[in-house]
Amino acid sequence: MDVKGAARRVLAGSPPVLLVTLPGATAERLAVEAGLRERGWPLAESPAAAAALVVAGEPSGPHVEWLGTLWSGMPRPKAYVTVAGAAESGRALDAVPRLLIAEPLGAGPQPGPPHGVVSPPEDHEVPESHGGHADHGGHHGGLVAGLPMAERADDRDGLRLDQLHLSLGPALPDWPTGLIVDVVMQGDVIQQAEVRPVPGGPPAQGSFWNEPWQRAARGEPVTRGAAERRRCAAHLDSVGRFLAVAGWSGPAARARRLRDAVLGGAGREELVGEVRPLVRQVDGSRTLRRLTTGIGPLPAARAKSVGVTGPALVADGDAHARVCVWLKEIERSLSGLEDARALAVDAENTENTKNTESTVGPRGRCDGLLSPSRALLDALPGLLRGAEFACARLIVASVDPDLDELQGAGHG
Amino acid sequence: MTEMSVWEPVLVLLGITAAGIALLYGLGALLAARLKPLETVSFAGGLQPREHAVSRFHVRWYPVTMLFLAFDMEMLFMYPWVRVVKEMGATAVIEMFLFLGVLFAAVTYAWREGALRWT
Amino acid sequence: MAESAETAGTAPLWAVVLLPVVLTVVALAAAGFDAVLSAGAEHGRGAGRGARTLRAAVAPVREGIALLARQRRRTTADDAALGRIGIALVPLAAVLAAAVVPWGFRAVTDPVVGIVWFNAMEALAWAAVWLAGWGPNSVLSLIGGYRFLAQGLAYELPHMFALTTAALGAGSLRVGEVVRAQQGMWFVVWMPAAFAVYLLSACAMAFWGPFGHPLGRDVAGGVVAEYSGVDRLLLLGGRWLLLVATAAFSVPLFLGGGHGPLLPAWAWTVLKTAGVLALLIVGRRLVPTLRMERYMEFAWLVLVPLTLLQALVVAVVVLNR
Repeated sequence: MDVKGAARRVLAGSPPVLLVTLPGATAERLAVEAGLRERGWPLAESPAAAAALVVAGEPSGPHVEWLGTLWSGMPRPKAYVTVAGAAESGRALDAVPRLLIAEPLGAGPQPGPPHGVVSPPEDHEVPESHGGHADHGGHHGGLVAGLPMAERADDRDGLRLDQLHLSLGPALPDWPTGLIVDVVMQGDVIQQAEVRPVPGGPPAQGSFWNEPWQRAARGEPVTRGAAERRRCAAHLDSVGRFLAVAGWSGPAARARRLRDAVLGGAGREELVGEVRPLVRQVDGSRTLRRLTTGIGPLPAARAKSVGVTGPALVADGDAHARVCVWLKEIERSLSGLEDARALAVDAENTENTKNTESTVGPRGRCDGLLSPSRALLDALPGLLRGAEFACARLIVASVDPDLDELQGAGHG
Repeated sequence: MTEMSVWEPVLVLLGITAAGIALLYGLGALLAARLKPLETVSFAGGLQPREHAVSRFHVRWYPVTMLFLAFDMEMLFMYPWVRVVKEMGATAVIEMFLFLGVLFAAVTYAWREGALRWT
Repeated sequence: MAESAETAGTAPLWAVVLLPVVLTVVALAAAGFDAVLSAGAEHGRGAGRGARTLRAAVAPVREGIALLARQRRRTTADDAALGRIGIALVPLAAVLAAAVVPWGFRAVTDPVVGIVWFNAMEALAWAAVWLAGWGPNSVLSLIGGYRFLAQGLAYELPHMFALTTAALGAGSLRVGEVVRAQQGMWFVVWMPAAFAVYLLSACAMAFWGPFGHPLGRDVAGGVVAEYSGVDRLLLLGGRWLLLVATAAFSVPLFLGGGHGPLLPAWAWTVLKTAGVLALLIVGRRLVPTLRMERYMEFAWLVLVPLTLLQALVVAVVVLNR
């Protein structure tokens, strides 16, 4: 009896998936998330938990290296698929069980990310700053197994303790796509933070969430209802991410399901019946308020000085305030879903429509010189400094920059 | 009932549970795709680690541990105390709760000094 | 079943073999119920609900087998021995703690210091979770491990006061006598605060639900972030065992143990345990994960005095009885 094969088929029946989104692949991510929900497959939190690496978007040169690191960290059996277009997601996911069952048991290389970057961990490059390969297991100039130990430095409490240098992202669960935060940590406290996009640059096609506004700016006919639909979905996506980070999986799952329903074109009446209870539950949760007030305060004055224009400016406060603004805008957008007027930004109208829904996307004004998420990213390091790891995750989620916007700056 | 017969089953249970855990490892060895564990770098979002994680961790709730130890030691007295409350009568209760009251006054003091908050 | 109450004590030796099995089965059932509720939130009232519910109900069994099929994992310069000890301690602590839980009126063992034994075993989790987090030499695991220590500082004292209160009501640390003392009235009736606090700490010591921060999604699984295969199974399964053991122990402490009309005593124990587990599993959906830097003050300034007052009330009642 082939018990080994039987156990593997059980795994292939509902494989935990590590979903990695590349810049510009929001539509693909949403399609994969919907596909996973439909199949009842869990989302893995780390490579250790994952049986399948699903990449939303098409990996190119700069992404291949870190995808290779992720892949080599996954235990076998494992499968690797890419989803280059939203329409392909179903086919790609359907391939996963087959790949898992077919994966050879031998020691040979597995089909992973392209260009053979998958190397046994023994051969992994040590970051260049520490100078090439080191003798494994031996102590070579402070290196242990190829890595230096943490060094001591002053911290904000006046103690000298070990400092860890760490790059967070881009594959953390519920993390903004393409974001890397380089941090210096002592214990779980972030002493310094710097923000950068994942190497490889932003996508050519701009942000998925700003699409209606970008199309209107190009002069294509877009209704206000369509724009509100997109805004509503964008905020539901952000709220879902925030709640997942806050460890409230039920409402997070509901927010994501409703996001897909909104994008799928569900009617207003149908949506209101489900969105309103969700908004009320999250907005009314005293526990959530107690847990998230005072985290990452961004007063309007400071927000304005770095050029923030969207909900983060309106919120004029902490992480909880920003989430509440999202919730309010979700309800407001819902009531405008059937607005058939044109989202017009023709030349003579521009003055009158400043700061109205015709120029303000989900994260801020799409017509400025600075893209809304650029401003959010500029505000982020200051918010993260001194925060505990858990708070830092909540801060990032409550700002939720969309790095795909960085390309769209200046258009419009 | 002798003392021995009270702890004997616990020993047997310890053996059975340890055997069960060993059995699971055996089952894993039988069913796993590969017997040899995967050796890899640690995960922090996909990029390579730059340093070893094990370090002198900044435990900012350290004052709470001191407070806890003080109270926890006291708790050990409370276990035998519950058995004699009835015999000793009101004195036992008064003494214990005076003691607890003093300890709790210390907690309030520590709270006002900010020991229970660290962010 | 009054006679059995009189002869409360040790069960036959075969029960020793049965206990880990029963715990595992109850844990699988509880995890299945949890998965069913999660699937409900995931899908809403869509079509195909029945099939999905069935699928979710057996999900824990499936996940367990799937984990067995996976290769284990080690990280660079890890402390595999410490990590492994930590992992194995979680299910071990759960089963050994359950040794003093009477099923009906008979426990695997009923020592004079039963309550202290239970307390000692669940305190093993402190070491277990931290060791498991330290082992892989990974920042996220390490953060998870330390989170549990902070959690311990918050939940342990109110928890111990709740245990002491029940013991005080019976005037004994022997679990069998605590059950006997509730023949007329369950302790929950006059110790509601202690019971509520006990339920909170049951979740906290099983690092589960709102107290799941050490294994939080924000740290990519924290303590379990680097484990796969059997290691992961033991840690995640051990967590459910710990939850079942602590939920089951609330029955002899506060809910009258095997006392109840009509049904046999063991059935009452199972029913009450299932009730407590269901309450916890449904209740955990109402709140997000609690972070200790916000919970610590609540624990020390609300829960500790609350349990102390409860203990005082019980002490006064005991004196006047």
